[in-house]
Amino acid sequence: MWKFNRLAIGFFILLFSGTTGYSQNCDLQVSGFVKDLSTGAPIPYANIYLKEIQSGVVSDTLGFITLESLCPGKYHLAVSHIGCETIQLFLNIHGDTSLTIFLDHNSQLLDEVAVVGESGSAILQESQSINSENISRNTEKALGEMLENIAGVSTIRNGSGISKPVVHGLYGNRLSIINNGITQGGQQWGVDHSPEIDALAANRITVIKGVGALEYQGSSLGSVVLVEPEKINQEPHLHGEGRYFFESNGLANGLNLELQRYHKSLAWRLVGTIKKSGDKRTSKYYLRNTGSESANFALQLEKAWTKRIFTELYFSSFNANYGVLRGSHIGNLTDLEAALERDVPFFTEKKFSYSISSPSQKVNHQLFKLHSKYSLSEKQELQLTYGLQYDLRKEFDVRRSGRSEIPALSLEQTSNFLEGKYSNYLARNWVLKSGVQINRISNINLPETGILPIIPDYISNKLGAFALLRNSGKKTSFELAGRYDFESRNVAAISISTPREIVRYEAAFHNMSAMLGLAHKFTPEWKSTLNIGYKARNPEINELYSNGLHQGVSGIEEGDPNLNRETSIKSTLSLTGQVKNKLFVEGLVYLQYIQDYIYLSPQDEIRLTIRGAFPVFRYEQTDAQLTGFDIKTSFQATDRFNVMGKYSFIYGYDRTNDLPLVFMPSNNLIASFKYQFPSIGKIEKLEFELNNRYVFEQKDVLPSQDFVAPPGSYYLLGARLSAERQLKKMRVSVHIKAENLLNETYRDYLNRQRYFANDLGLNLILGLRISF
Amino acid sequence: MKSSRLISFLCISLTSVIGSTSCDKNEPEDPIIPNEEEVVTSFNFTLTPGGGGSPVVLSFMDLDGDGGNPPTITGGSLIVNTNYSGAITLLNELETPTADISLEIEEEGAEHQFFFETTVEGLKVEYGDADVNGQPIGLSTTISTEEAGSGVLKITLRHQPDKNASGVSEGDISNAGGETDLEVTFNVEVQ
Repeated sequence: MWKFNRLAIGFFILLFSGTTGYSQNCDLQVSGFVKDLSTGAPIPYANIYLKEIQSGVVSDTLGFITLESLCPGKYHLAVSHIGCETIQLFLNIHGDTSLTIFLDHNSQLLDEVAVVGESGSAILQESQSINSENISRNTEKALGEMLENIAGVSTIRNGSGISKPVVHGLYGNRLSIINNGITQGGQQWGVDHSPEIDALAANRITVIKGVGALEYQGSSLGSVVLVEPEKINQEPHLHGEGRYFFESNGLANGLNLELQRYHKSLAWRLVGTIKKSGDKRTSKYYLRNTGSESANFALQLEKAWTKRIFTELYFSSFNANYGVLRGSHIGNLTDLEAALERDVPFFTEKKFSYSISSPSQKVNHQLFKLHSKYSLSEKQELQLTYGLQYDLRKEFDVRRSGRSEIPALSLEQTSNFLEGKYSNYLARNWVLKSGVQINRISNINLPETGILPIIPDYISNKLGAFALLRNSGKKTSFELAGRYDFESRNVAAISISTPREIVRYEAAFHNMSAMLGLAHKFTPEWKSTLNIGYKARNPEINELYSNGLHQGVSGIEEGDPNLNRETSIKSTLSLTGQVKNKLFVEGLVYLQYIQDYIYLSPQDEIRLTIRGAFPVFRYEQTDAQLTGFDIKTSFQATDRFNVMGKYSFIYGYDRTNDLPLVFMPSNNLIASFKYQFPSIGKIEKLEFELNNRYVFEQKDVLPSQDFVAPPGSYYLLGARLSAERQLKKMRVSVHIKAENLLNETYRDYLNRQRYFANDLGLNLILGLRISF
Repeated sequence: MKSSRLISFLCISLTSVIGSTSCDKNEPEDPIIPNEEEVVTSFNFTLTPGGGGSPVVLSFMDLDGDGGNPPTITGGSLIVNTNYSGAITLLNELETPTADISLEIEEEGAEHQFFFETTVEGLKVEYGDADVNGQPIGLSTTISTEEAGSGVLKITLRHQPDKNASGVSEGDISNAGGETDLEVTFNVEVQ
């Protein structure tokens, strides 16, 4: 298990204590090799710095290192190399020691083919991760935006701050987000609802572009986003990391602090983040009321009771307040038409402001998790997890007579989750995993709003069980998994007709899912993976019962209580490989067929209300098909110069009506050029990157499918300069970034504010990270 | 030892599983029906002839709010070359007793303005009231007719319009901005 953990965080170390025995003299020697984690190739010119004696050595051309004349004692090492994530090691030296340090070199060249999570559960499905170095370089970003650089992942935005990841065209109800092993509760159905997670509390975020991670409960129709904090390092001293950022656009500031300490009796980690941003700016004007603020913290406690029993407790609190562009708050279709005609949105101010007023969203999300692991033997393990989530979402509208202070939407959700898992590592590389999960969600509208709720109150009880069998061979690996889910849902709605009365609905769903994966290594360098999965998703509460005016989109949305579940068959085929450690290629093709795909279908009807006329949208079902591919290549032209390119293509097709699917991501092309400078004095890892992002116009959508044609293609230029240096016991990293360097005026198809305003203009970011 | 530990582990798990499912009932409680005090169910525009006579009432009624049953719209017929005094009343009949929303609009006059657009030749609507800044609200108006004709009268209530924008205080909606709270259209005949 340990090996998996270490692998998961990107490195591990083999340590052999010397044979010369205990010595009090300061003549000890530490020697060994620095190697590439994935290829095992030696890494020359890696810096090894001993904090206690404030000096270091550099590995030779064979990756060999020696540290001499050391006294017995405890040492902290920082091992850094250009293109690798810097790692911190702790050594307790009694005698001459030899060691091998593995650095994760490839991850910078390609999003590594990661061993996901401690269980290595998704090993056969395509997954890509961003590690803590990547997270540190993007501290100003929300979770969804951080993932945007992974091929095949896009972001739905609602202005700035509010964003949602889209993987292979699916999001919200169809994409599960697993935070710390627990399916993220909250109001994932809302297109304008961000996942309630502080990305900075995580050390690794992984996107499984798969066909169904059947180990997890959730409504995913394939892909899954995993947000994982790492295990606390077995380091007896207090360590920590401080991160700060400043953004010119929105004059945003953020501070993140992480402290951790390991002790045999209890290991702990504490992470806190505060961020505040004012009005963002497009190339030409400020976006009024687009500031945001958040304050989050997480506490992680770990204890090994015996060698066999390990318990982890995790508590996190996410609290955010997002402003929504004032000019996007509209009353009816006439207003929308007027807004579409304008160059500059209504209510635009010449002055910058930090203030957030209506319309806005206030979100609080608390997660409590208790997880225990019991090793029955070397090869068998039982895990028990309990998770409690409490989610409070209040949305404020511009209302009459001081009612703007009263939320127009006020939802409280409590989710109780319990899971038991059994893993058996059998002979000949067979792994068997199975588990049972129970989840109870209670979703209540708080009556303070004075408005008929858009979704009703409900209680949902879910029971799921899965089994997974995997064999990892030298050349061929294989995985087979099955899952059963039961859900019973009890709904209490308020009638649309007068007098208002309570209407109750009941529904029960039984679903089966299955997946098969095959991976084959043709040569040590080239690997191909094929996955096929069958999944079902129950219609979500908004699709069944929403009824009423959705002001943000100026339409009346009607749910249909008789909708069936969606079923999906998805297949992915990938090829990954490299030529002479110079050219890296990663390609993935996917085809997904979704029967009874639920979507909002525009009706012919225009409904007259006292606020004016509104188009009517109804949740309907059709047979949909998603086809796409993601390609990523990286070329290491010289030791210092790297060129990387990514392209994602997707086409969504409504087979029944012979129409394109709406709200599918635009195809996009990313190219970056990276130059790594030699160290200047003590300044290491000096790196300059130029990145180019070209987003194609979404040409598939027909004029009749939207209020306005999708915006045109756009090109964004960005740059980053970063460096690191050791300052006594501290490791300091600095980066300067520029986004939209040309101050381009553009709108993005997946940004819901594109009807009203341009997207963000030039942004300069300064980031600082200090590890100690 | 090993098996007893396993058994106790399983027992604890099982107890908590049962505990978490059986603790409370599976039906949500009756939701509290919100007091929808903001809704406007009836929009009445009463036109009283200057020289006396029975008033004409243009009305838009949607008693169950947005959605549900379609609204009832009643147009009206006016007399040529006549001045009328106009008064708008907004009611919320979902509340008992019926609430007069026009009072809310009056109180927040500076943040609201009615706009009148018509296709009827010669029909003119002039503001007869003012907010704290001396700019029009439109709850009370003066209406004048000229020759005979017919068409529609569209009345829009804007929340937070820019009353200083060009033409807005004269009743031109095009630069008003803000968001539409109400928008109703009546058939009007002048004879």
